[in-house]
Amino acid sequence: MKTLVLVAHPHLADSSSQQFLKESLPATGIDWEWLDGQQTIDVNQEQSMLRQADRVILQFPLYWFAAPASLKQWEDSVLTRKFVYGDHRYPLAGKELGVVVTTGMPGKAFQRGGAEGLTLDAALAPLAAVAQRAKMTWLPILAIHQFGYLNENEKLQLVVRYQRYLTQPQPDSLTSRQNWFAERLPGMIDRLPADQQTKGKLIASVFDQKSADLDQLTDTLALIKEQSDD
Amino acid sequence: MTENAAWLNEQIDQLAQQQVKFTDRAFWLALKQLIAEQDRRADQLGGEVDGRTWSPDQW
Repeated sequence: MKTLVLVAHPHLADSSSQQFLKESLPATGIDWEWLDGQQTIDVNQEQSMLRQADRVILQFPLYWFAAPASLKQWEDSVLTRKFVYGDHRYPLAGKELGVVVTTGMPGKAFQRGGAEGLTLDAALAPLAAVAQRAKMTWLPILAIHQFGYLNENEKLQLVVRYQRYLTQPQPDSLTSRQNWFAERLPGMIDRLPADQQTKGKLIASVFDQKSADLDQLTDTLALIKEQSDD
Repeated sequence: MTENAAWLNEQIDQLAQQQVKFTDRAFWLALKQLIAEQDRRADQLGGEVDGRTWSPDQW
């Protein structure tokens, strides 16, 4: 899977959350672009990158219930009517569109009656509408609330949550998660120093066995259900 | 938590602590969480298999 990450942030170097996410990027399969860092927008180049991507991620801090201006500028320049749907070819059809949004307020603020009184789904509805118009599949938003308040453990969890959001096939089921880890485990074991590899392999073999056991249980249950439906 | 699960957690924790890169540590710790999820799901599915098998009206 090829994922294009478009970051809109006027002061990227000053943003600890954006720097953290950049450090957390998966090693392969990612094209990363900072929209505010470009002097001019090369429309052909941007459209070409969109064509090549399987998943497009819009990543930004929430400014007044919307993305920063650079994303709108990019949309208005790159997502031309002709490109998106004007010639009835829909080059983005079937691709996935996801949003990684950081907020200064806690998650509970983004609901009716909450401090912000508006859900993120509602605030970012225009982006979902763009996805629909382009016949793209809209992914559930990945919201990162109050990054500065996360403890070490929460940050560690965020690394993999973010990596999975960028690269794991949907839906985010236990099976998808198992497959995602299974694909990466051999490479992660290779990266271990020689004296740690045995332990890594042992952990991987237990994980594989548990995955196989779960498959078998699921099959058994399906069989029982099928028989009881007769 | 079973003895086996506790032992496995300890192995993963040790491995994670030895990783220099933050993202490598994150990977192993996330795997630990996923294995805990697998154990929960296996318990639930096993319970459902038992429950559905124990149905006197179908004997």
